[in-house]
Amino acid sequence: MLKTSRSRRLAGDILTYVVLTALTTFCLGPILWMFLTSLKTEADIVTSHMQYIPRTITFQNYVAIWTQSNFPVLIANSLVVTTITVVICVLTGTLAAYAFARLPFKGRDKIMLGYLLVRMFPAVMVIIPLYVMMRTVGLVDSRFGLALAYTSFLLPLFAWMLKGFFDAAPKELESAARIDGSTRLGAMVRIVLPLARNGLVASSVFIAIAAWNEFIFALMLTTGQGSRTWPVGLQLMVGEFQLPWGVLAAGGILSILPVVVLFAIVQRAMVQGLTAGAIKG
Amino acid sequence: MRRDHMKSVLPRGPITLLGNLSETRYWVYLLLFPSLILLLLVVAYPTLYGFVISVREMRLTRPGLNGWVGMKHYVAMMSDRVFWISLKNTAIWVTAAIAIEVTLGFVAAVALNRNLPGTKLFGVLILLPYFLPNVVAGHMWALLLDPRLGVINDLLVRIGILSTYKAWFADPATALAATILVEAWHGFPFFALLFLAGLKGIPEDLYKAAAVDGAGPVRQFRLITVPMLKTVIAAAVILRVISLVNSPDLLLVLTGGGPGNATQVLSLYAFQTAYREFNFGYAGALSVVMFILLMLFATIYIRLTHVTKE
Repeated sequence: MLKTSRSRRLAGDILTYVVLTALTTFCLGPILWMFLTSLKTEADIVTSHMQYIPRTITFQNYVAIWTQSNFPVLIANSLVVTTITVVICVLTGTLAAYAFARLPFKGRDKIMLGYLLVRMFPAVMVIIPLYVMMRTVGLVDSRFGLALAYTSFLLPLFAWMLKGFFDAAPKELESAARIDGSTRLGAMVRIVLPLARNGLVASSVFIAIAAWNEFIFALMLTTGQGSRTWPVGLQLMVGEFQLPWGVLAAGGILSILPVVVLFAIVQRAMVQGLTAGAIKG
Repeated sequence: MRRDHMKSVLPRGPITLLGNLSETRYWVYLLLFPSLILLLLVVAYPTLYGFVISVREMRLTRPGLNGWVGMKHYVAMMSDRVFWISLKNTAIWVTAAIAIEVTLGFVAAVALNRNLPGTKLFGVLILLPYFLPNVVAGHMWALLLDPRLGVINDLLVRIGILSTYKAWFADPATALAATILVEAWHGFPFFALLFLAGLKGIPEDLYKAAAVDGAGPVRQFRLITVPMLKTVIAAAVILRVISLVNSPDLLLVLTGGGPGNATQVLSLYAFQTAYREFNFGYAGALSVVMFILLMLFATIYIRLTHVTKE
């Protein structure tokens, strides 16, 4: 009896590892292949016989995408747009999240539901009017305008995620500070924000990644060099110049590098915030 | 006491003023004001404006054409062959992708929830695709499935499943299925993440009690795991349906709706109508229809699953 249950347990463990290895291969295999491709010479990519391991490792593709295209400009634009988006969301969203988490007021549930419903609006439905609006005020092809457009779906997400972290921060310290004579503002800035620091970082990183990756709004709302972000630039390069696979792969690796690094640093807190927000929502 | 002390030391600057304001009942509105204004400006107003555009003629290429046309775009849509194809493809694309993603996500979550050594690392690695940009994901898979250089073709030929390389995205028979595979790769970690959180919330005692009562793993799964996860599954599915219906990114990068209209979906059709043809009126009408269909679906779905009743 004991033996069979132990052997059954062992079989289960082995099966678990087999399943996890298979899924991880499915997830990482494509990324690994793109990385290998980015290190290959053109002769190793375009072959009649598939070359799995590069015969010579070259960084030529990285040099090519960085020096022979406007990739640095695209990356810089993306950095600026992402930064502005995060700043707007943090400044306005933190206040809203705090109000949702700590201050009871009439219509709170309705407003919170409203923030959630915003996610149901088709991007296309918002993009077209936004384009017309921004054209009238001269914000088409502007990095600020694009960041403003991103807040349409990232600000509600940020507020909901951060609210979850505020909910988790203990209320007692805040009450103590209030008893000591601190104003609500003082308690918020000196007590609650530091307590929810990890959550603030995780929520910010989450929307930073989303803004960095965004493609459809950027395609519609940017028309020239001045504000074009890397996803749009890379996509247009593929269409215009028949970009060689190696160079395209190098561009892909470079552009996901910040995402992977940020994700690795804050994944635990981010996962926590995401699941909390989604399950409650 | 201390407050008086602070007041006398600090000059009555804007900070003190804000601090005093935070004690009044206006404080909460002040906190909400910036984000509300912003959302009214970039979401509420554009949405209303979107409805208006859908009953107007608006083509940026022909500024002369302007004015109210009433239901014209909606009537035209009824006899638009591409609209119906897109509607059908959207239904297939979303249903198939969600079915695969839920299955893979569930398998991953159950495996990760066994908490064996190393599962934490696996959990992080499996999550990665969800955070990668659609543009890169699209081109990466285009390379993997390339008709001349694709490594997946090579592997399938080596194993003996295929006799020659296949142009997955160019063949109308396989194009939609290939894009569903890419979407599943991109989206299943989302379900794994939520299901894992749900599984962790099920008390261990329930399983122990069931085991004492003689329930085997299969019955435990059917009688405990599935019912306990129902809310999470329902919530995750609706969130995913919304984002799948709404985002044309991946298909735009992979196929652009082709070959023919084999992978054309509503969101992509609406986007291309606006972006390529600058026919904002018709594109607006298409997205309004999409929005209404999504709302209908969400309402019925929530009724059926009682997601909001927790």
